[in-house]
This record gives sequence, structure tokens and C-alpha cells, in this order.
Amino acid sequence: MKLIWKLLRKHISASQLIGFSIANLVGLTIVILAVQFYGDVAPVFNDEESFLSKDYLVITRNVTGTGALLGNTGEFDEQAIAHIEAQPWCRKVGRFTGSDFSVYASMGLAGDRAMRTQFFFESIPSDFIDVNDAQWEWDASRPEIPVIISRDYVALYNFGFASSQGLPKISESQMSKIPLAFTLTGNGLSEMLPGRIVGFSNRLNTVIVPEEFMQWANARYGTHGAKQPQRLILEVNSPGDVKIEEYMKEKRYDVAGDKMSSSKANYFLVLIIGIVITVGIIISLLSFFVLMLSIYLLLQKNTRKLQDLLLLGYSPAEVSKPYIGMVVAINGIVLVLAIVLMLVARCYYMDMLSVFGTVGSGIGMSLLAGAVIMSLITAGNVIAIKRKIASLWRNS
Amino acid sequence: MLPAVFAGREDTGSDVWLRNVTFERGRNYLITAESGTGKSSLCSYIYGYRNDFSGSLLHDGCDVNTLTVEQWCRVRRESIAYLPQELRLFPELTTLENIMLKNQLTGFKTEAQIMEMLEMLGIPEKAHSAVGRLSIGQQQRVAIVRTLCQPADFIMLDEPVSHLDETNNRIVAQLVTDEARRQGAGIIATSVGNNVMINVDKELKL
Repeated sequence: MKLIWKLLRKHISASQLIGFSIANLVGLTIVILAVQFYGDVAPVFNDEESFLSKDYLVITRNVTGTGALLGNTGEFDEQAIAHIEAQPWCRKVGRFTGSDFSVYASMGLAGDRAMRTQFFFESIPSDFIDVNDAQWEWDASRPEIPVIISRDYVALYNFGFASSQGLPKISESQMSKIPLAFTLTGNGLSEMLPGRIVGFSNRLNTVIVPEEFMQWANARYGTHGAKQPQRLILEVNSPGDVKIEEYMKEKRYDVAGDKMSSSKANYFLVLIIGIVITVGIIISLLSFFVLMLSIYLLLQKNTRKLQDLLLLGYSPAEVSKPYIGMVVAINGIVLVLAIVLMLVARCYYMDMLSVFGTVGSGIGMSLLAGAVIMSLITAGNVIAIKRKIASLWRNS
Repeated sequence: MLPAVFAGREDTGSDVWLRNVTFERGRNYLITAESGTGKSSLCSYIYGYRNDFSGSLLHDGCDVNTLTVEQWCRVRRESIAYLPQELRLFPELTTLENIMLKNQLTGFKTEAQIMEMLEMLGIPEKAHSAVGRLSIGQQQRVAIVRTLCQPADFIMLDEPVSHLDETNNRIVAQLVTDEARRQGAGIIATSVGNNVMINVDKELKL
């Protein structure tokens, strides 16, 4: 094999191969970086929340200025709730229960209650919340209040408060670790209970606690008795259903949550990533043709030698081997380099993304994309080499 | 059989074209021809790198047009040792490398046996010289040694001694005959004038 390689390596153009490798490296890196970036960033834009079912809507009654003056409190009465439940598109209705007591939240490290603020709680039925039962459990004998807070609060702190006060930004995972304490006051009692953030929500613009806790706390600290809910959470068959929209319009209910703008952002993200991936694939494709051209040129220049080897009794497979080995080695190196570049770039952007609380997705998808593209390019090269040498056999 | 370029000819005056010819293992044949009568074509048909002929050519009763690439490779490694007229050596490789390129495929000779043949042919000192720097006569001797580095049923030599003097012609004839005898192989040699000095069982005019 060494002798064949000595013979056939002649006319290999290092500059052509380097040109191909760089072009393919650029193309492939762009593609796998885009795939990886999409995987890492999509959860920030995406409305889907791990602890909430996807097909739900939060609705409120449309309260106008005059309506409020006329005593319209915006509450949903039982009849209205029953009517919504009867709709064919509605699977389940949950009520938001407000806290009938006052809440103070304090947070800080090592017992230092650095921040203290008036607070509020709401709850929705547990079957709308899809978090680990153990995390969402309320046990009055070992009181610790699990809460889900709006992601907007994190953004408000990071981009409003922290940046103006010169304080460090906090990621969601860091925020989850900060000890919280809630002082609950009412019915002649004032007690401090520890709390814990178990999740962040894009669409629930409130602070959610377990319903069992809310019932317990309202009974213990509440003074006004049960009230009708002002917000409802609905699980529906399809949130985009026109019938739902018509119903809401007719009943003058508002659908809360900025689903539209978030899906637009997601749409543009997909579009931009799509464009970037296309550009990467085009570069890879062009580099593939550069390599093909280079190989054809090489085979053309070595035609006589290849034919002579075939005449000696070497099989086309044996004669193709050195070139196939060369292509596989180059493509393998390019793939490894592209993955390394992607991982380095990812380290940089993940630092920036950490304030959004995303921990990123795994790298499996981008590795798969890189491997698939490289396999296709290599397969194309190998087929071309084999075909060319087979044609030499016929014409030797 | 008849080469495609001779198509339409009814009488070529040849002992081969348009005739039934059988080459038998263990017998020696000399094909004499004038230039342009299709001597190298005949060799290329038998060796399977051209098939522009009409009629049929059989290897052991098997039509060569039905042989697969793998079968042809086996023929070239194990059945027919062929010396092309144009030698087909690799000028950038040394004498020994050229020979080893064939021998490592067949594993037929030891390096010592190869060196012995080179010595007999008077070019042992050229073993490590690039073939491109050798004279055409020396190259012809290198190509002959390479041809003998394989098992064979036939040793087919296309003008093997065209560039050799009488002494070397005699040595080549001796080497080839000894090798053929050892293997029980037949020899098919072509010539336009300078005949290789082997004992011929049958002479055919092309």
C-alpha cells in the first residue's frame, strides 16, 4: 500500500485540499453552530413551559373604566364559568384563587434579608401544574412555600433594577437558590415561612403557589371568606381555534399572555436560523464541488498510473483505497475541527444567554447534523472516486 | 475472432484472425507479425483490457466477455503473466519498487530471488535507481523480471527482446523458459523480427 501511495500521491495539490478544507470547515461550522444555537436559544423564545400544559389560555373579564365605577369587579360568576365549561373546545377550567391575607417577601443570603417587599400569591389547581410532585408539595407540618414566579420579574430585576444600581445580573438558576422568606399576616397572626422558587413562567404574570397551601393559608390568615375568581385558566383543544376567539370577543373576555409576540419572535428566530443554515449548506456544497473537482483533476493526471496498476492485477477497489482514505481523513479532521469551533463559540454565547436562565440543550442534535452532512459529502466523494476508477477499468 | 478495425475483411492471410486457434498450457507459441497486423491487440484481448473484436475468445471454455472485474483481476494475478510492449513501468519508482509493486500483490518471489534475476540480466546495481533513468534495454529487463513475479498458466510476452542484444536475449529466453517449466506454463511470445530465443512448439503468422 505504501508503494501505491508513493505512486498516486503525485499531483495531489495541497493548496486545493487546504482550500476545500477551509471552505468546508466554514460551511460545516456555520451549519452545526446554527443548529446548536437554535437548540440553546429556542427555549428562551418558546412559550412552552415545562411545568404547564401547552394548550392553555388565561382569561380575564374586560373591565372598562366606567364598568369599574359601576361596580363591575371583573369576577367570573358560577354561571359564566359553567358556560365556558360547556363549550366544545374547552377541556378544563381552573380558577385563580387570590390570597386573603397580606404577604411580605424577603430575600437575601446568609440570613441577611437584603430585599423586602410587599407581595401577593395566587394559586391554580395542581393538575394545571406539571412539576415534580415532591417539589410542588405543601406540608403544613414542614412549611416551605414553593412558588412559580413570572419570568418578567427576573427580567425586571436584571435589566431594570440591577443594571441601574450597578448590581450583578442573576440567572434563573442562581435566583432559585436564593433563600426566600414570606411573612404572612392576617386574622391576628403574623408568621414567617421559608419559600423556594421552583419555576419561572412566561405567561403566568403572577406568583403561583400550590392550591393546598392557598386553602390552608386562606383558612388560617383570611378574614373575608371565599371570593369569585377574577382570572381563569382554560385548557383547550387548540389555542388558535377561531371559535375561541369569537367566543372571547362576544363575551368580552381578554386572553392574557403575549403569545403572539413570542411566537413572532420564535418565527423570526426559525427564519434567521434557516437562512444561516442554508448559507452554511451552500458553502459546504460548494466546497464539496471544489473537492470533487480537485479529485477529478488528480485522477485525470494520474490516469495512466491508475491504468497501469489495474493492468498489474490491482483491483479498482485497491487502487481507489488511497484516495478514499485521503478523503475520509480530510473530512474527518474537518468534522472534528468544526465541532471544536462550535463548542468554543457556544461557550461564549452561553455566557450571554445565562441571564435568561437557559441552560441550553444537549449537543447531540448539532453533532448529528455535522455527522450527517459530513457522511453525505464523504459518500459523494467516495462514489465519485469509485466511478472514475471504474471508468478507467473499462477504458484501460 | 477479428479486431473491429479489420471488420469486413474476409481473408487476412493470418493463422490467427478468422481462424480457430487454441493455446495450450505447457506449450510455447511464437506469433510473428508485421507491424500493424494486430499483435498487441491480440495480447490486450487475451489480457482483458480491450474487447473491440468480433468472434469469441474463451479462457478455459469461458467467454471472456462474461468475466467480472474480480475474475479479470484474478487472471492477471494468477493465470497470465504479461509483458506489454510498452513495458508500463513507473519511471519515478526504482527498479526494485517497480518489481515489488507486482510481487507484493502475488507474494510469489522473495527479494533474494528477484535480485538473483536482476543479476542474471546484468542490472543488479540498478536495483535502487529510478527506472526513468535506465536505458530502454535495461527497462525491458526490469519489466521481464516483474512479469515473472507471479504464478501463471501462460507467460505472454509482447516483443520481449526488441531492445536487447543477443546475450541478453539468450538470458531472457533461459529465465522465461525455466520459469514456465517450473510452473508447467505455456509461453506466448510475439515478434516483428528480433525473435526471443525460446524453443517454439508452434509458430503462428498474424
